[in-house]
Amino acid sequence: MTTLLKPPPALDERVGKRGMVSNLLGRPEIGALVGAIVLFIFFSIVAPVFLQANSFATVLYGSSTIGIMAVGVALLMIGGEFDLSAGVAVISSALTASLFSWYFSVNVWVGVGLALVVSLAIGFVNGWILMKTKLPSFIVTLATFLMLTGLNLALTRLIGGSVATPSIATMDGFASAQAVFANDFTIAGVDLKSPVFIWIILVAITSWLLLRTRVGNWIFAVGGDENAARAVGVPVKWTKIGLFMGVGFCGWVLGMHNLFAFDAVQSGEGIGNEFLYIIAAVIGGCLLTGGYGSAIGGAIGAFIFGMANKGIVYAQWNPDWFKFFLGLMLLLATIVNLIVKRRADSK
Amino acid sequence: MKKISWQRLAVVAAIVPMLALSACSSSGGRPADTGGSNGGKVATTPSIKIALITHAAPGDTFWDIVRKGAQEAATKDNVDLLYTSDPDGGRQAQLVQQAIDQKVAGIAVTLAKPDALKAVLKKAEDAGIPVVSLNSGEDVFKSVGAFTHFGSDENVAGAAVGTRLAEEGVTHPLCVIQEQGNVALEARCAGVKTKVPGTEILYVQGTDMTQVASTVTAKLQSTPGADAIIGLGAPFTATIVKAVGALNLAAKVKVASFDLSGELIQSIIDGKVQFTVDQQPWLQGYDSIDALWQYYRGGFMVGGGLPVLTGPAIIDKTNAPAVLKFAKEGIR
Amino acid sequence: MTANDMNSNETAKHAAGPTGTGPTIDQETLLQNETDPLTHTPVHLMELEGVGKHYGNIIALTEVTMAVDMGRVTCVLGDNGAGKSTLIKIIAGLHQHDEGTFKIMGQERKLTSPREALDSGIAAVYQDLAVVGLMPIWRNFFLGSEITTGRGPFRRLDVKAMKEITKNELADMGIDLRDVEQPIGQLSGGERQCVAIARAVHFGAKALILDEPTAALGVKQSGVVLRYILQARDRGLGVIFITHNPHHAFPVGDRFLLLKRGKSIGYYDKKDITLDELTAQMAGGAELAELAHELEALGSHGDLAQELEAEVAETAGQLPH
Repeated sequence: MTTLLKPPPALDERVGKRGMVSNLLGRPEIGALVGAIVLFIFFSIVAPVFLQANSFATVLYGSSTIGIMAVGVALLMIGGEFDLSAGVAVISSALTASLFSWYFSVNVWVGVGLALVVSLAIGFVNGWILMKTKLPSFIVTLATFLMLTGLNLALTRLIGGSVATPSIATMDGFASAQAVFANDFTIAGVDLKSPVFIWIILVAITSWLLLRTRVGNWIFAVGGDENAARAVGVPVKWTKIGLFMGVGFCGWVLGMHNLFAFDAVQSGEGIGNEFLYIIAAVIGGCLLTGGYGSAIGGAIGAFIFGMANKGIVYAQWNPDWFKFFLGLMLLLATIVNLIVKRRADSK
Repeated sequence: MKKISWQRLAVVAAIVPMLALSACSSSGGRPADTGGSNGGKVATTPSIKIALITHAAPGDTFWDIVRKGAQEAATKDNVDLLYTSDPDGGRQAQLVQQAIDQKVAGIAVTLAKPDALKAVLKKAEDAGIPVVSLNSGEDVFKSVGAFTHFGSDENVAGAAVGTRLAEEGVTHPLCVIQEQGNVALEARCAGVKTKVPGTEILYVQGTDMTQVASTVTAKLQSTPGADAIIGLGAPFTATIVKAVGALNLAAKVKVASFDLSGELIQSIIDGKVQFTVDQQPWLQGYDSIDALWQYYRGGFMVGGGLPVLTGPAIIDKTNAPAVLKFAKEGIR
Repeated sequence: MTANDMNSNETAKHAAGPTGTGPTIDQETLLQNETDPLTHTPVHLMELEGVGKHYGNIIALTEVTMAVDMGRVTCVLGDNGAGKSTLIKIIAGLHQHDEGTFKIMGQERKLTSPREALDSGIAAVYQDLAVVGLMPIWRNFFLGSEITTGRGPFRRLDVKAMKEITKNELADMGIDLRDVEQPIGQLSGGERQCVAIARAVHFGAKALILDEPTAALGVKQSGVVLRYILQARDRGLGVIFITHNPHHAFPVGDRFLLLKRGKSIGYYDKKDITLDELTAQMAGGAELAELAHELEALGSHGDLAQELEAEVAETAGQLPH
């Protein structure tokens, strides 16, 4: 009887059994990583041009414009919520900056600042309504998605007199804003665009936030079990509102890139992109039910999307098959994810 | 205490640059005077109500111009214009029904999905409402009871682009379709292909400009033989121009376009785009409304039972400066 | 606590297993209205007198009197709807009583929030445990009260310290886990319960409310949880153990409060009641008899009726008079 309660040794000998490999397999993004490597090798074989540095930079750029949003959306999904307004909110932000600067003929940086405020406010409103009404985020953000779509179209016509914003390329501050949000960097002969760097920085910051700060702990908790989190004193309301504002911030970054890369914004754009962001996060190992996932996973998910999207072009395949192929890719990546995770959990 | 100081810092960090930069922009921005285009005399005929019902998706520049043309005709002809649109055929039919319910004097309708509209246009005919069609449906307008059609054949427009490219020695153009499965866009590229057999189609996701840019870049990188690239809409062409420029291919890859915008014409003047083919959407809107008004003015029926072509019109360096002014006004 | 102490506790726990044969806890000291065993002041850690609560015109709880002391286990027994959860909510600060007095350390209080209860040293471990299944044990342990290092925007979790504290705290409770990095959802129900208890203890709880900790558990797991209740008691905590199972309550409890339909139907010291009496009171002998009779009249469910009759016969003579 007395042997039952031996004080445990400083380091339990059973810990060793769960070694490096199975620890790695336990990570949420492992399925996506395997999928990404397979896809990379696959396209390297079928389309040799894929391996050229400049081609790869293009793939990275295509990935980054999904990936920047996928970071925010992944965090939000870990926190147990959806944001269907994320795609249109990007355009709302770009429209705000563009139309405000144009209409009042002010330095575009003023518009950029205002757009940030608007983007964060959209996120705040999403989160606040969600927490006040306790409605599913699916419904709340579907409503804001529709409202923003309407506002984008209506206000653009009202202010600019057209469905696209006037070009602001000649206005003060445009060049410096472009240098930040839509610059081309040539590094060792390879053209890299600024969203790629912004994306990588965002992923690094959010990963750190998620794994190494109190807020990160709270994000996992509110997504895993909201009531439990509330019971132990986690500020559930502000964590969730903050997550929506995080998506708003990412939307602002991408919106500014859209604006300064193309000078003008069309008010009908962005619809449907919210699903790409969610898909990227899911491929990256975020659970649809919340409480599990990683920022890096969302990034890898976006990278898979970018590779598939651009790889088909490099491989010179009949584009009729693109959507089918993309769907298949998503399915396979998520299945691999599932299998690997089950195997890791059963160990 | 520490928390508050961080918040303060953030507020200050956000506000200071805004204040510092709140000086007015020295160039660009909203013109001080937009100028009036509706200075003409208004017709003395009694006011009538005419409905313009299109299949436009919200937020499309092209339809904006159609609407502007229609509005100008309406203003001039003392017409009360009711503009509605829905890309879904069934819902567009409902809009036509609503117009009949409102007892409009005439209906101008786009026939992108004629089968969905057949029944409801029969009702309009029975109610004695004159109908004209515009933009799409030049082969079916008669069968649904419209007395004429205003539009530009997409295939003919495509062929015009193809002919022009062939003249310039292009053999391998890329035709960039921003909406897979769109009949009109496919027809444009098919038209190009009739004149330049080496034409290759590239599909991009038009709802996301960054994806348009990156996919075009990818295609150009992987297709060294490409010697021209065609955008099927002004905003997409603008993005294509940037992608070509970023790859330093401007000397090798010619850019052609469909449709018009102020920026696009500027690009033609600057030599970044060779030419564009305009189906003159403003005319489609203007003429449809005007034709319906003429019907009431004197029982006129323009067209003589045949479609009235509003294009294609090719705009290149030679005539671009003349068009620029109108494009900036938003009517080209 | 020395290793020797722990071993002797272990023996005690086993003797006081769920079977309830011959508990060896020293009962001589468990007199009603005793002084606090640690502070030696004549107050209870917590004391309820004539406490009642109604929601609108529905009376949820009335005339409840009980006490909680450090190093003692007060059991609250009752069937579903007896008012147990209302009682916990009052003590845990979720609801406020509107009759009687509620004293903490001799001071009359009305707790307005769970936070206030926590600050007063009262921690509740609910049935759902307030743990997040997908998160590692150590993250769950410190959830909401994380340890951080660094300043300003570089303030980060002190992962190493938290893992170590978690491991040590759990070891002190006698829980031997191989890896605190494991998701807590992979632990057994009993182990999860114990992590929740250890967490409450670590964050300075003086009184621990356990809401039906054994309800969803099998026999063996229940035994494990009962052992940890004793472990918490021996560390000087006042424990309120809420259950509907007298077989679980009797071996570990020092006082027993029986609730029925929002009313107290008995408050006993351990020396004043036996397991059989407790069971009989809980079962409500008269009602069982009536039910058996009704079933017999219906003519169906003969087996069930017989079973009930047998149970009635068994408990009939055991009600305390």
